[in-house]
Amino acid sequence: MVTVADVNPYEMIAYTGSRVLEDQTIVFVGTGLPIIASMHAQLTHAPNVNLIFEAGSLASILDQGMPMSVGDTRAFRNAVYAKGLCAVFDLTQRGYADYAFIGGAQIDMYGNLCSTYEGGTYARPRVRFPGSGGAGAMAANCEKTIAIMVLEKRRFVKKVDFITSIGFGDGSFDYRRKAGVMGSGPYRVITNQALFGYDRDTRRMMLLEYLPGKSPEAIQEMVDFELLISPGIKEMELPTEHDLMLLRTKCDPDGFFLKRKVVEN
Amino acid sequence: MLTGINSKITEITQVDKDILDRQRARKENFEHWGATPEQARKAAVGKVKGLVDKRMTIGEAVGKYVKDGMNIGIGGFVNTRVPTAIIWNIVKKGARDLTLSFQSNSICCEWLAGAMIVNPDHLSVKRAELAWWGYEIIGIAPLLRYLAGNEMIELDDYTNYGMSARFRAGAMGVPFLPVRDHGGSDMELVNRGVMMKCPFTGENTYLVPACHPDVGIVHVNAADMYGNARIFGALCTCPEIAMASVHTILSTEVVIDNMAIRKYPNLTEIPYPVVDAVCEQPFGAYPGAVYGDYWFDMEHFLMFRGICDNFRKSGNKDGLKKYYDDYFFSCDTFDDFIAKIVPHKKLIQLMKMDGGQPVIL
Repeated sequence: MVTVADVNPYEMIAYTGSRVLEDQTIVFVGTGLPIIASMHAQLTHAPNVNLIFEAGSLASILDQGMPMSVGDTRAFRNAVYAKGLCAVFDLTQRGYADYAFIGGAQIDMYGNLCSTYEGGTYARPRVRFPGSGGAGAMAANCEKTIAIMVLEKRRFVKKVDFITSIGFGDGSFDYRRKAGVMGSGPYRVITNQALFGYDRDTRRMMLLEYLPGKSPEAIQEMVDFELLISPGIKEMELPTEHDLMLLRTKCDPDGFFLKRKVVEN
Repeated sequence: MLTGINSKITEITQVDKDILDRQRARKENFEHWGATPEQARKAAVGKVKGLVDKRMTIGEAVGKYVKDGMNIGIGGFVNTRVPTAIIWNIVKKGARDLTLSFQSNSICCEWLAGAMIVNPDHLSVKRAELAWWGYEIIGIAPLLRYLAGNEMIELDDYTNYGMSARFRAGAMGVPFLPVRDHGGSDMELVNRGVMMKCPFTGENTYLVPACHPDVGIVHVNAADMYGNARIFGALCTCPEIAMASVHTILSTEVVIDNMAIRKYPNLTEIPYPVVDAVCEQPFGAYPGAVYGDYWFDMEHFLMFRGICDNFRKSGNKDGLKKYYDDYFFSCDTFDDFIAKIVPHKKLIQLMKMDGGQPVIL
């Protein structure tokens, strides 16, 4: 019987990420945990989940193992379609990517994400990150956005420093429409300790599930804005031994992402 | 120009007002950071269109086409098919006040940034129009962090689609393209695109300006001596960059016969008229990967990034200086650089790690 102590935080994120993907869909993945989560989904409940890698591939078969990045040549192995960025983002803008699977350094209650900088100003940032990359385009035009983050108060903030990837903006019903984007927007936020969704009417982040042994109050403590709590709130499902075996031996056997520690400098 | 149209980002942005004013002025007084569409058209019309042998060394091509103040359009994507051999030669030659344009890149930008930190009189980068500058799994780019944090570089932030659309607009010979991203994010306020009302639907639509680099630099799997090029695996935005640029320098793993190109013309991703120099350079994307040829050399990425991160943390340039002395300035060619840094058996190993992904030559 698997207990919370047997599952490290990144394995919890990858397993939960896998769980939220429906079969027969196209997932536009970012580097790392989104790839691992999608590979796990393909090996278990969603064999017909197909991936887009933004350098330009669709539905590759990852028989050389996990690509180290979304531009890795291995992400093109046995694809059905291999072009460039324009081609796969066109497909996305047209409406053929069901999920955006992205990360970020900060997120707010409306699912707006920052991955451009943290601290200081735009002109003179304390820490400049790489920038939007594909994330801003994925959050705009994939149908649903799934964000993956570690649950930390400095990441779940009242206001993000810079909106890199659009969420629901200020929460108003027409924010995304006036932005000229096509996707319906934020759908899930996956963390090591909680799974969040969004309230349909207010578009605010809502706690759906929490790690066994934690409580909704403990999760609220880790978040700098007020969370809505789902009426159907429950504990997160733990992976089985088989799931852990798949994650550890098939998805990320070298532990590039799954064995990291949840501490950053 | 300013359209007076925005999404509701103006009501919630956290970006300081004086910075927004400055960014707005860049839209209002828009200038191409490379050729204008008119200049790019004129350059294309002026080119000799025959099938002529364009083979030369990268050193010759860089000497001929790369000048101070130019916009360099960099091909590849992060660590894949990145034109490192051409960048290496640009670092050797030196060039000041460069603008860089690319969607996502890693070591190409960091090599240029490092060269600037070591000797800004020899090489300098004043600005970049980009989507992403980093190393993915290896971490964020220390020299971008240093340059941005010290206001030593001007940045113009788009998404990967946005930058790709900008090159594509250039490739199409149109002045802009509408895209359904950037709107509602802070990029709408800080980059040089603009929101408009679509004249047909009346809905807000974001427009990004065409990008015409002065020199596009692209590495490919194979090309003939005229510049007809094949790319396997990710095309990235290489065809668009080659098409959009005023001049394009192509490095290629191998030069193949023109009759081989003619056998499968559908495989030509870059047509010869847009190419000005064809430079045969095996391992021309090292330490990056080329689908069908070789995989990344993670070890070299880690080594260089480590040196850069040490500089960022300590401010001490000695490690960086030594790197450039050892691996650039004391080598005559990119082949010498590779011979110095990668043992032969490691190269064979990198070729094996590609897994023999099939290419057609």
